[in-house]
Amino acid sequence: MPSERLIEDLAAGLVPVRRRTASRDAMLLALLGAVELGLFLLMGAGRHDIMLAMLLPSFWWKLVSLALLALLGAATALRSFDPAASPRRGLRWIGCLAGLALLIGWAIDAGHGGGGDLARRLDWRHGVYCMFAMAVLSIPMLIGLGLLMRRGAPTDRAGSALAVGLAGAAWGAFVFVFQCPHDDPFYIAIWFGLGCGLVALAGRLLVSLVTRW
Amino acid sequence: MRVDDADEWGALMAAAQGGHGGAYRRLLGELREWLVRYFARRLPQGSVDDAVQDTLIAIHEKRHTYDPARPFRPWLAAVARYKWIDRLRAMGRERTEELPEAIGVASHEAAVTSAVVLGGLLDRLKPAQAEAIRLVKLQGFSVEEASARTGQSASLIKVNIHRGLGRLADVIRSAPDAE
Repeated sequence: MPSERLIEDLAAGLVPVRRRTASRDAMLLALLGAVELGLFLLMGAGRHDIMLAMLLPSFWWKLVSLALLALLGAATALRSFDPAASPRRGLRWIGCLAGLALLIGWAIDAGHGGGGDLARRLDWRHGVYCMFAMAVLSIPMLIGLGLLMRRGAPTDRAGSALAVGLAGAAWGAFVFVFQCPHDDPFYIAIWFGLGCGLVALAGRLLVSLVTRW
Repeated sequence: MRVDDADEWGALMAAAQGGHGGAYRRLLGELREWLVRYFARRLPQGSVDDAVQDTLIAIHEKRHTYDPARPFRPWLAAVARYKWIDRLRAMGRERTEELPEAIGVASHEAAVTSAVVLGGLLDRLKPAQAEAIRLVKLQGFSVEEASARTGQSASLIKVNIHRGLGRLADVIRSAPDAE
């Protein structure tokens, strides 16, 4: 088909469009997150000793770290859905923040007198369950961000998909914090780190496949 | 592209987002000319028209992502560059036909310019990758002929083309787009 006819066809079938704005996308995501967290807590899935847990530094460490990672990941992803924006700087910041979170966890562990029997502390049966639960809880956010990415025009698909994966993973882990009974920083760093890493990798691979344009 | 063009194109796109077909027809016509120049400097001549049409369709499908409060040119350049990278990747997947000895060409200017730009890009690759891409994708040799000319095995030629085009895409993505 010659370009002239293509232009004629595109102009003839033109309909008004609703402009994409990052702020509207952010509001939709916030609503999705609030609904998921609300349902999770209403179903009684939260830990029963949450009042006691809130007295522990490790509880706040994982909650705040994951909230910040989810926020930064989502902001990086949403920004990168604009064709003229790149997710690279945001991804670097996410890497720095994740490293800082692990460093703080290590400090809390050292102050806690950690360093006991590592295999026992790792408690791999519960750890695998934690990873599975985190992955399931990250699905709504991954789907939501994936749909927004499809509607956007990311020009660095791999970078945007990685930001989506990281945001979804951090959000899933953040919601799971309200259920997870483990407060050992070593356990949290290993299993939450592995869980987030695997979900982020899956997001990076799957989301970039379905968002070609 | 003059600054006036970019400002005017932004206004035309804003009108098109509201459903103004006349403004949109004019915008796409002017963008087509710009895109032909853009891709003629960056792709082999046989790929230019396909790349232009792909980009026009992409502009149409993603027109809601343009924010009229911001300049039009970076948005357009980003979409065009994305499609350029796509086209380079596609070149890696397409079977290359052997070229006949004599082909009538109206003007060599675009071909020479694109060859200079592509040559500059190929200089950023490993010599074996650049040579494989130059012979098979730009000069029309078959994989077997390129293998015989370079001493690389046929499978290594294919691997070098695949990796080289991937590396080219990374180079383009990380470089500022100078028009």
